[in-house]
Amino acid sequence: MRRLVAGTIYVLSGALGILAFVYPFFVPASESLRHGLAHSQDAPLMTAALVGLSVIALLVELQGRSLSAKTVAMLGVLVAVTSVLRFLEVAFPIPGGFSPIFAPIIIAGYVFGARFGFLMGTFTLLASGLITGGVGPWLPYQMFTAGWAGLTAGWLRQIAEWMRREVGKSRLASYVSRLTPGDSRSDVAVLCVFGFIWGLLYGAIMNIYFWPFAVGSAEQTWSPGIGLGETLIRYGIFYSVTSLAWDLARGAGNVALLLVLGTPMIKALERFRRRFQFQVNKQTTGIAEVKTDV
Amino acid sequence: MFDARVWLLWALTTLVAASSTRNPLYVVVLLLTTTVVGGTCATAGSRRAPLSPIRFAMIAVPLSAIFNGLTVHFGDTVLFHLPDWIPLLGGAITLEALTFGALNGLTLTVIFDAFSVFNQATPVRDIIKLTPRAFHEGGVVLSIALTFIPQTTRSLRRIREAQAVRGHRVRGIRDWLPIVVPLLVSGLERAMGLAEAMVARGYGAVVDEGQSLRTQGLLIAGLLALLAGWLTYLFSAVWRVAALALIIGGAATIGLAIWLTGRAVKHTVYRARRWTYGDSLALLGCALTLAVALTQRGPLYYSPYPQLTLPPFNPLIGLGLLGLLVPAVVGVAREDLEPLDQKMEKRNEAEAEPTDG
Repeated sequence: MRRLVAGTIYVLSGALGILAFVYPFFVPASESLRHGLAHSQDAPLMTAALVGLSVIALLVELQGRSLSAKTVAMLGVLVAVTSVLRFLEVAFPIPGGFSPIFAPIIIAGYVFGARFGFLMGTFTLLASGLITGGVGPWLPYQMFTAGWAGLTAGWLRQIAEWMRREVGKSRLASYVSRLTPGDSRSDVAVLCVFGFIWGLLYGAIMNIYFWPFAVGSAEQTWSPGIGLGETLIRYGIFYSVTSLAWDLARGAGNVALLLVLGTPMIKALERFRRRFQFQVNKQTTGIAEVKTDV
Repeated sequence: MFDARVWLLWALTTLVAASSTRNPLYVVVLLLTTTVVGGTCATAGSRRAPLSPIRFAMIAVPLSAIFNGLTVHFGDTVLFHLPDWIPLLGGAITLEALTFGALNGLTLTVIFDAFSVFNQATPVRDIIKLTPRAFHEGGVVLSIALTFIPQTTRSLRRIREAQAVRGHRVRGIRDWLPIVVPLLVSGLERAMGLAEAMVARGYGAVVDEGQSLRTQGLLIAGLLALLAGWLTYLFSAVWRVAALALIIGGAATIGLAIWLTGRAVKHTVYRARRWTYGDSLALLGCALTLAVALTQRGPLYYSPYPQLTLPPFNPLIGLGLLGLLVPAVVGVAREDLEPLDQKMEKRNEAEAEPTDG
């Protein structure tokens, strides 16, 4: 029951966040034209409020089940380590939009689960924003998007395990079984594809929050009433011209980092996951309950 | 110097004001204001932004001008033509499009500068204090992370030195492996120790499941109301008032869930910061600028299209935008009124403070 309720909150907050990002694609033509400029001025404020509320709701839910001391400590330290990796980004010349923070977020979500992944993504962007002076109106969107990268990394592992169990003895199953958790090389293969996709998705999502309000060439900007197909074409052109090369560097960087660091990082995190499953004996300590999951 | 909430409002007000105009004269007023406030209020030991506002402007303004100039072929003053067979870029390159792009870059610089000032003028501990009580655990995670960052930085330096002694040099991404893995493992060892210490002190010993269910119910109701309200707002003009009521109701329900969660968290402050007259004055200054930005949208509007003209300037609006200058004025006045012995004491404290980053 509790899982169902929590799942409902994930789905609703995710739907709200995604709707806030992509609603210009679905606004009917007549409606947009009727409200014109007045509505376009309300929209950025409304979008920011909705994204903010959906992040807040998800954070309340994720914290509401009381984070154990182990989760808090591990999350805090992993966020610190990942934030420090951001200094490497400044210290060494790194091409395009590549940032070394995404690989640890994805791996942490994959090893420790969706909830941990979301919190890791959200807090990493927040903490690194605080230490590098990167707090600004863009931060909630970055937190939301990086949080979703971590969240879906947790789901990726569940999907891989489910496919191995459910798909049966088909040819696909034999292929999938080679890409299931346990063998860290197959984990890395799955994560490389996932990291590359998120390298592009991160840029594409971050663009969408300002693209409907951007001013520029008619072939690349959104205007009310152009319809879904035309909107997608225009966004595709805008994305190809302004962001694709930048985001490809991020995707390729993620793949390179996951290829190099993936196996040792997964092994280290798996080892610590087992070590973190210590349990407090409540008969001797009098402590009511300590959860064993990280 | 000022309350963190005042700084946050100041940065948000600058964001709203900058977003409301493309008139270069008002944008320059805002840019000068943020620069003066930054110069006056940023403390010597404050965090520096990864990119200075001047460098940001040197990148953002020309890039934005070139991008807009190459992709928008509108405006009367044609500078030259690019061949029409070049997709997207082919057509007339106009002075108006270049100017509008440069103005966009300048506006972005104002926003970047305002948040740089916010980052510099507000200590991290004050920003964490802004965390609502409902996010107490998130605040703890953030505090641990920010406490461990200097330690992790030191570890990183030690590991790099140790690897350098062994002849290791960072040339490519593969060379990060002997640095990142020991950094991760040593960090996780510290997390292990910290978790054991937290459990030993009884952290998280009491779990209130009943409250969690109630909170979850409220969150679901709030999210459903927001979703339904937003969809109705977008797709039905007839039910717009009802949709807004649903959105407000949904936001209020989520607010209630946060309040109920926060109520259960006991919060103590070792040394509370007092609200000062300076804070009130800065707040009034922000309110003035916000009022101007929200009510004078027409006069603030400026477009160089179709032909570049001199932008209008209303001194009263310019004066209203100077409300953002109040933190600098109050800061200078405070410094002048402060007795000399207190200034000396502060300077000695700043000099004695370790600067380990």
